[in-house]
Amino acid sequence: MSVTAVLRSEWIKIRSVRASFGSLLAILVVTLLFTLPLYATEGQAEAGSDGDVVFGAFQAIYFAQIAAIAFGAVAVSSEYANGALRVSLSAVPNRSLFYGARTTVVAAAALLVGLVTAFTTFLVGQALLGEDAIGLGEPGALRACVGAGIHLALLALFAAGLTFLLRSAVLVLGLLVPFILIVSFVIGDAAGKAVEFLPDRAGQQVLYQQTPAGGIGPWPGLAVTALWAAAALLAGLWAVRRRDA
Amino acid sequence: MSSIDLEDLTKEYGSTRAVDRLTCTVEPGRVTGFLGPNGAGKSTTMRLVLGLDHPTSGTATIGGRPYATLREPLRTVGALLDAQAAHGSRTARDHLRFLAVSNRIPARRVDEVLEETGLAAVARRRIRTFSLGMRQRLGIAAALLGDPPVLILDEPVNGLDPEGIVWIRDLLRRLAREGRTVLVSSHLMNETAVLADHLVVLGRGRLLADVPTQDFIEQHSPPRARVRTDDPARLRATLLAEGYTVQEDDGRWVVEGARAGEVGAVAAREGIPLLELTDERASLEQAYFALTADEAEYTAAAPASPTVPQEA
Repeated sequence: MSVTAVLRSEWIKIRSVRASFGSLLAILVVTLLFTLPLYATEGQAEAGSDGDVVFGAFQAIYFAQIAAIAFGAVAVSSEYANGALRVSLSAVPNRSLFYGARTTVVAAAALLVGLVTAFTTFLVGQALLGEDAIGLGEPGALRACVGAGIHLALLALFAAGLTFLLRSAVLVLGLLVPFILIVSFVIGDAAGKAVEFLPDRAGQQVLYQQTPAGGIGPWPGLAVTALWAAAALLAGLWAVRRRDA
Repeated sequence: MSSIDLEDLTKEYGSTRAVDRLTCTVEPGRVTGFLGPNGAGKSTTMRLVLGLDHPTSGTATIGGRPYATLREPLRTVGALLDAQAAHGSRTARDHLRFLAVSNRIPARRVDEVLEETGLAAVARRRIRTFSLGMRQRLGIAAALLGDPPVLILDEPVNGLDPEGIVWIRDLLRRLAREGRTVLVSSHLMNETAVLADHLVVLGRGRLLADVPTQDFIEQHSPPRARVRTDDPARLRATLLAEGYTVQEDDGRWVVEGARAGEVGAVAAREGIPLLELTDERASLEQAYFALTADEAEYTAAAPASPTVPQEA
């Protein structure tokens, strides 16, 4: 079968279901909605005074992460409503091809929207800060913007792989969202070094100008998140190939 | 054209055998009705043919090839398994479009099948607003998309209005006349009797019958003739004397255990004028129940009204 044709078909499928296309756009919209009040109300005193100036520009990343995970989960879970997967697999019975095409489209869409989101939140947030703003020329800023886009795409893939395995967006979101909000966000700093290897925290290393003490560095951090995503994708592939549809 | 070949096909779920060493061939050029009580394994068999479920043992092939190895399979096999499987959030057109694109079927086919199934006017409406009948039409549109030589339809009549039932009957007959292989499961016996040239009957996953519809009805019909005469008293007496059971039914006499030929011979010998004489055939429904009475897994469900929907 033609790989290009299957890729096009998978894009039409994501594009034509409101929930999956909407959750893709939501990555940008949600991030901006949180960026605006955060930086509009924050005085110059808070910005960059303590901590990392570049990381300070990505405070909305937590919301972007949740939106990216939601997109990855919802873009896959539509296959698990009312036997929709059977329709898909009768059109593309080569399951590895079907799986590869769907995850490639999820990755490409999330990367594109992730990059737009990263640059937009950085530039809009800094524009609101006025005098204390940093530009893309600031050391580490460009790396952080590109890295944030990749990080969001990897999280979407992580969720997509898990959804193929567990067959339910509700289940996957129920697992991952509290994970990001509670484990990482709330008790993260108190939980020691292991926390730096969690999928969301590892990838966030790329957002720092100076790697925090005990951190694993920008690109190794992204590589760890990529390993999480790869593991979830392999588990999903195994499930799709092996199970009855 | 391609036939569907099942060989020793077996599917077990845990300790349950849903399909049990099924061997048969669904031939092109005719409509094959796929019958059996709930849980007989019809839907499972269809999923096995489409490579959606993995068989425990045995093979299912289309034109000699497993479904999963077909290039652009929608051009070879059109299938409708479950009309509810189309995502409610898509429009009918988008549903057909992604299927067409994946198998490199020209975009004009989308409009053609929408037209053919009477959905052109609602093509841009979301599927969740569709009635069951409209979803069935969309499922049939999807099956026809690749102009395939083989069609596999699970309960396509379900939810259609009388006009829709006539439409699909004519459509499937036409497709079979064109030399295609058409396999249709149904729980509507009378519909199947009118529609199917050939029957494959399952019970508890096993093959019970693989015969032409007419033969099936004849094999499972007790002999019975219906006769009308000017001289009922004499005819009755004569037939009773011959050892037949005779009952009056709306001005006619129903003779149990006799073919029309035998009744005609008796009447001619006695010089009794007959106004009407026919063999009475059992309906497919009666023949079917005669065959499956012992096989029905859910006995209570079997004789129920034919409008009860069958398993998905």
